[in-house]
Amino acid sequence: MSRDEDWVLLAYRLPRVPSTPRSAVWRKLKRLGVAWLSDGLVALPADARTREQLEWVAEEVTEHGGEATVWLGRPLDARAVSAVAGRMTAAVAAEYGALAAEAATLRGADAVTVRRAVTRLRRELHRIQGRDFFGCPQREAARHAVDQLAAADTAGTPA
Amino acid sequence: MKWATRPGVHVDRAACAWLIRRFVDPAAEFVFPADPAAVPAGATPFDMRGAALGHHQGRCSFETALETFGLTTDPALEEIGHIVHEADLADERYDAPAAAGLDVLIRGLTLTSGSDHDTLTLTDRLFDGLYEQTRRQLITGRPPA
Repeated sequence: MSRDEDWVLLAYRLPRVPSTPRSAVWRKLKRLGVAWLSDGLVALPADARTREQLEWVAEEVTEHGGEATVWLGRPLDARAVSAVAGRMTAAVAAEYGALAAEAATLRGADAVTVRRAVTRLRRELHRIQGRDFFGCPQREAARHAVDQLAAADTAGTPA
Repeated sequence: MKWATRPGVHVDRAACAWLIRRFVDPAAEFVFPADPAAVPAGATPFDMRGAALGHHQGRCSFETALETFGLTTDPALEEIGHIVHEADLADERYDAPAAAGLDVLIRGLTLTSGSDHDTLTLTDRLFDGLYEQTRRQLITGRPPA
């Protein structure tokens, strides 16, 4: 693992009904790129930002009548934690891959389409980077694919 | 009055501290207990778990503070609320391109500041500028030159 060993964990329980807060919390955790350790237990490599992020999710769970505790923990099993990190990295690698593929298929499209796509893809790239905790190797390829799409557009634009 | 928040202040806490000092309590004194249980008696906590001035219903603490202090009628503050929201939560509820820049600037300040008081001295200036810029932009409809 390339980061320090502490992980921040959120253990939470939310009533099944109503389902809206449950799915809101689920979407939020998904966007943060958490590792799903088991039902109601998620983890992120610990730093000031991730601690705060999970603390606020915990607050939201509590506001919706659930229970939530945030923990700081250090795994005792190095192999198990690299499997968790590996799963997280594989998930963002797939996202980077899809983004690079989309950028590649857009080359040759008309200038307006390309320009809009570049804006959208850069935003998406930024989003994925936010949950890329272990320097996923596909990051550069995805960034390069979007840059190339942008360069192709600029090259074809009259000054 | 005394106000308490977590140490290692970032964008939401810096924005709240600025708002408090500028619009609520010019003589505000800030303390930074690491443990919510260590908030001194008589101090008002903000941007801490369990605080009324915290994240509620998807809003960041600064947005909650605008509501609490009755400052939502100031469109420049509302706009800054959107920027702070996106810098803090990045959930794309608002279109606030300035958020990314504000986030990195304050993170950088936190890294180089000697203390949270030091950070707030600098971020107060930053938010004064952001407020003035936003206010003028709202009056003229375009960014001030």
